[in-house]
Amino acid sequence: MTVRAGELVLEHASRAFAVRADPGRTLKGALLGRRVAGPPPVQALDDVSLRIEPGETVGIVGRNGAGKTSTLRVLAGIVPLDSGRVEVGGRSVALLELGAGFGRDFSGRENILLNGALHGLTREEIEARTDDIIEFSELGRFIDVPVRTYSSGMFVRLGFAIAAHMDADVLLIDEVLAVGDEAFQRKCEARIAERIAAGATLVLVSHDAALIGRTCRRVVVLDGGAVAFDGPVDDGLPFYHRLMGTEVPA
Amino acid sequence: MRYRFLFEQMVRRELRQKYQGSVLGLAWYLINPLVLMGAYYLVFAVALRPGFKHADYPLFLLVGLTVWIFFSQSLPAAASSLLDQGALIRKARFPRETIPAATVAVQAVTFLVVLALVAVVTLAVRGTAGAPLVLLPVLLVALGALVAGLSLAVAVLHAYYRDVAPILGAVLLPWFFVSPIFFAPSDVAHHAWARDVLTWANPVAPFITAFRDVLYGGAWPSGATIAYVLGAAVLALGIGTLLFRRLESELAVVV
Repeated sequence: MTVRAGELVLEHASRAFAVRADPGRTLKGALLGRRVAGPPPVQALDDVSLRIEPGETVGIVGRNGAGKTSTLRVLAGIVPLDSGRVEVGGRSVALLELGAGFGRDFSGRENILLNGALHGLTREEIEARTDDIIEFSELGRFIDVPVRTYSSGMFVRLGFAIAAHMDADVLLIDEVLAVGDEAFQRKCEARIAERIAAGATLVLVSHDAALIGRTCRRVVVLDGGAVAFDGPVDDGLPFYHRLMGTEVPA
Repeated sequence: MRYRFLFEQMVRRELRQKYQGSVLGLAWYLINPLVLMGAYYLVFAVALRPGFKHADYPLFLLVGLTVWIFFSQSLPAAASSLLDQGALIRKARFPRETIPAATVAVQAVTFLVVLALVAVVTLAVRGTAGAPLVLLPVLLVALGALVAGLSLAVAVLHAYYRDVAPILGAVLLPWFFVSPIFFAPSDVAHHAWARDVLTWANPVAPFITAFRDVLYGGAWPSGATIAYVLGAAVLALGIGTLLFRRLESELAVVV
């Protein structure tokens, strides 16, 4: 079965992660078959099934460790599933962490090239977008200095500007917009709305219920790696607040 | 070849990160092997003066050293490459092999420059420019495949098992001394079996011998040597690619 551009499908998706203080396994340990005792694996996704149609705007909420970021990483194709199926139609762009994929000693302009390349664009495709990206990022002359001198706000501006100009069918965004100032956040939201109007799908992970309320029409509440709620945002956010015990008394 | 441009960018990244901020910058890529070669020359050609004789011994030494330095600098660089770029791997999806491939590409360019210098001098001094030189491109491709294949293997293994790079470092030093770099197998082994071990048990040895035959000796390498070289290249690239394919999907989790 093929998925349409902008469509996302998770079917009975499960994924566990080993949690250990010491991440480095050794060849010696592996050859001797030595098992290091530690906490049992954490089930980050536990039989999650989701179908997201092209053009939908979906917010994913839940407490820390509920599997939100893992879901995004699975959708982004970075982490494979233990079992189940994941399919994403068309070009997807993931904005998972500030400055991920930035070479610290490269200028902002060079990082646009590198990031575009990571998304599979050719030099011509990237160069055609560079001016728009720089203008959107509002970095001005800072675009030509090494990004190690950037503030975190500048990072998110550049990162978002790049992601927003990749003409993606699917935008996967993880809790990074909050770093920008309010004016820039509004600008990002407007840009996201533009992309959605053009037919793109948005999956947004955030703890900011107000942001989800403004940008998403559907909410998925994750709890313990499983879907606890999936439906319209007007019902989802109250459910989320009840789950978190942060209800605002009416 | 959608990701050809990514590969270009990765090579730039590699070049920049390695020696960024140093006064001599990219020249270090050449200075390092040249200094190493100078040191080995002093030790083996001047200080130790081995009992066996090769005409123009410094050139004999340098041709083998050039091959060895490419091999022995590429593998450790590749081994740590995936961890060095961990931030990228954890947060973006792209063909992971571009990372070790870029590392090896940078080493390969250095190797080609140094080899060109050594080859020009060797051919001029020894007067060995002749028909066997047509084999040189074949040998270069084969050596590239050997190094690329082993690099893919050690890179992905080191991402899973953090003691691969230290083990590699520990193995490369004695490996250097048993490789026919400052000697030919017939110089040091007086028994046929010992000569065979030195010649064939070490996968790098036939490569060194072949390059030396062509550049320093102006002769055709033996058929067995050429067959070994090609076989080792295909095998290394095949195993390296297979291993990488098997293990790459979990890289975002393990690095």
